[in-house]
Amino acid sequence: MTTTAVVRQHRVAAPATRSASDSLAGTGAMVRLIVRRNRVRLAVWFVVLVGMLSYVASYYKELFPTQQSLDDFAAVSDTPGIKALTGLSPAANTFGGAVWTKGWMTIALGLAIGVVFLVTRNGRADEEVGRTELLRSRMLGVHAYAVASWLVNGALCVAIGVGVALVSIGQGLDPEGAGIAGSLVMGASVIGVGLFGLGLGAVAGQVASTARGANALGSSVLVGFYVLRMVGDLGNGALTWASPIGWGQRMEPFGANRWWPFALLVVLAAALLALAVWIEAKRDHGAGLVAERPGRSWAPKRFASPLGLGLRLQRGPIIGWSIAVVLAAMMFGSVIEAMTDLLADADGDAATSFIRGNGVQALLSMLASMIGLVTAIFATQSAVSLRSDEAGGMVEPQLAGALSRTRWALQRLLIPVVGSAVLLLVGGAILGAVYGSTVDDPSQAGTMAGAALAYWPAVLVLIGVAVALFGWAPRVAVPVTWGVMAAMWFATMLGEVFGLPTWFLDAMPFAAVPYLPLEAMSWIPLGILTAVAGALVWTGIDRFTRRDVQPA
Amino acid sequence: MSSTTMAVQIEGLEKRFGAVHALRGLDLAVPTGQVTGFLGPNGSGKTTTIRILLGLLRADGGHVALLGGDPWADAVRLHRRIAYVPGDVTLWPNLTGGEAIDILCRLSGPLDPKRKQAMLDRFELDPTKKARTYSKGNRQKVALVAALASDAELLLLDEPTSGLDPLMEAAFTESIREVKGQGRSVLLSSHIFAEVEKLADRVTIIREGVTVESGTIAELRHLTRTQVTTVLEGGTVGLAALPGVHDLAVIDKHVTFAVEEAALPQVLSAVAALGPRTLVANPPSLEELFLRHYGDELAALAAGSEK
Repeated sequence: MTTTAVVRQHRVAAPATRSASDSLAGTGAMVRLIVRRNRVRLAVWFVVLVGMLSYVASYYKELFPTQQSLDDFAAVSDTPGIKALTGLSPAANTFGGAVWTKGWMTIALGLAIGVVFLVTRNGRADEEVGRTELLRSRMLGVHAYAVASWLVNGALCVAIGVGVALVSIGQGLDPEGAGIAGSLVMGASVIGVGLFGLGLGAVAGQVASTARGANALGSSVLVGFYVLRMVGDLGNGALTWASPIGWGQRMEPFGANRWWPFALLVVLAAALLALAVWIEAKRDHGAGLVAERPGRSWAPKRFASPLGLGLRLQRGPIIGWSIAVVLAAMMFGSVIEAMTDLLADADGDAATSFIRGNGVQALLSMLASMIGLVTAIFATQSAVSLRSDEAGGMVEPQLAGALSRTRWALQRLLIPVVGSAVLLLVGGAILGAVYGSTVDDPSQAGTMAGAALAYWPAVLVLIGVAVALFGWAPRVAVPVTWGVMAAMWFATMLGEVFGLPTWFLDAMPFAAVPYLPLEAMSWIPLGILTAVAGALVWTGIDRFTRRDVQPA
Repeated sequence: MSSTTMAVQIEGLEKRFGAVHALRGLDLAVPTGQVTGFLGPNGSGKTTTIRILLGLLRADGGHVALLGGDPWADAVRLHRRIAYVPGDVTLWPNLTGGEAIDILCRLSGPLDPKRKQAMLDRFELDPTKKARTYSKGNRQKVALVAALASDAELLLLDEPTSGLDPLMEAAFTESIREVKGQGRSVLLSSHIFAEVEKLADRVTIIREGVTVESGTIAELRHLTRTQVTTVLEGGTVGLAALPGVHDLAVIDKHVTFAVEEAALPQVLSAVAALGPRTLVANPPSLEELFLRHYGDELAALAAGSEK
């Protein structure tokens, strides 16, 4: 055979397709590699999520020993707050239904977000830094690495679902005489939502060309579906069906025990994975769906200052979180009025102390705290960038210039500090304005802007935690700061109903904030929070000026 | 069967990234059993070409044959017969270098522990350290050991010695000579002219995605000029006017000029008549060949600095 014959035989003009068996070559070896690299992470997700259900179940068994107490629970849980945050089981007056109401949303959503991050870590992140290229230069099929990651993460979903079902059976969550049908449906619903997260993460990893972009895309779509079902649960329920998370909810273990939404979730996950395979087969290695465009050849003067550069580098998150807060505030504001009738019905003699009150004022206060919590994520993300820029070595060339460490840190901190105040004010004002327009009360905009802004000192404390850890414990600063952030979310949203110790809940910055407009304004806690935040920032920056600059 | 088989044969290769036209009809051949040098400035398309050969990128046009197969469609089967070393190696931070080498080698077939050990010894790499503690040079060694421990028919090396110290570069040179001695083929993309000159049988020079020169180093030397330095007692009368003489410079009696190969006999006899006391003639180095092809870029740079 001559060389020209060889060449003609493999004309690129008629694109050759790869054989299916080739494209999966080496999957087994990749499964072992991924398990080896993620064994601790996989174990932690399993223990935390299954352990959480076990904890809630044993706690509730103690708390609600009689049917009367369960009936009381069902009555007091029928509030917009519970419906919005966790969903309400139609069988909330059974032991299983009560546990589902408290635990299911956290476990299912936690698993879905966790799987999105794990799929990115073992997919786009490896491709971005070039590790997958080295593997693909060997006998590794085009889809082998991705499929291996999906298998491992799919196995995690199944393991957690089976764990949930086993805990449920072990704790006797099923109503007497109903067998274990409800436990099985609950386990399957967790698997289904987890697999949806897997499909989402897989597609996000093909569309985005960076790990950061893939995580942002996947988790924001999940949060979008969470809010969609939230609005659905607060309204007539139609929008709940528009969200795959809602499909999992509507399996209603211990109630209707529906299996067919599980089939929907599995089909959707399979379709998303098929889409990911299709994109991966077509695209270039290392590329996303959108090619990099050339940018400008010069930089404006403001980029020479840490603040100007920081604003440019964090442009994506700043715009993204601003849109998220505005949309959430508009959506929240628009559903309040529609709920007034429902609230009037539910506002009977059921105790109001259990879920921090009832009625429109309580709902407004809860929504203001939600805007505070969303703002807190933005502030944390921006504040931990001090450490991630240091770890990535980006800060060294800047500090090699005529720039003090203190000035660098302080300017960079202006972004989360000022940015969170703006987000709180805008979010609260839009929430109030949209609600006010439905009840002809323009003063609501100002009231709600103030109610949301009351969370500013609490957000500042989180920024302080990030800076103090950045100064004193740089190597663990990023994960620990996010851990504190997650703990605070968890405690604020679910702490009281989880029966966590009062001292722990009171220690959470968000708990100290007056619950406006339901509660009266009180300045002392806000002053204390601000002072704590200032002290944390000061000690963190002070330490940073004395310690070594440490790349990862 | 033609007399020379080709390990790599590329004709008219095209690749676009959005609006960027990265490769515009590139030609490249790597004859079996030879080392082919692949030269070009940063961003000229060397790495893109190699990534197309690896089946990581899809060509937009032209013909590509790798070991007689299609690098995109037959990627997996072809990869059993090739080894690749990137210029910038990223490893799993929490795995050791030894683990990374085994993972890479086992993907292409059984691991030969003796060859792995021999290469570890040659490159003085400690395989028990976690990859996050390796310097750039040590990460490079991991990829080199993994590639050289295999019996691949074709080695695709993309600036493989970046970050290596001179001793390790010598170990690399020795390894490539062994590979060549065993009749295996090498595509060596590099910026280090001395390395390519030492190892390569053939050289392909590319620029902005197009091949500008290709051939054996001896062939390429025909295309350029010999640099002559001499001390002339009899002046330089008439020398500058001879055909084939360029860039004549005179300082006292020291004369330097460049001469085209075809004009060498006439020029040398003219020089002999002018009473030379010393004479040094250097064949063009690969570096000069390279600079000649990018000379107008250098001229543009010089013009820019004069402004």
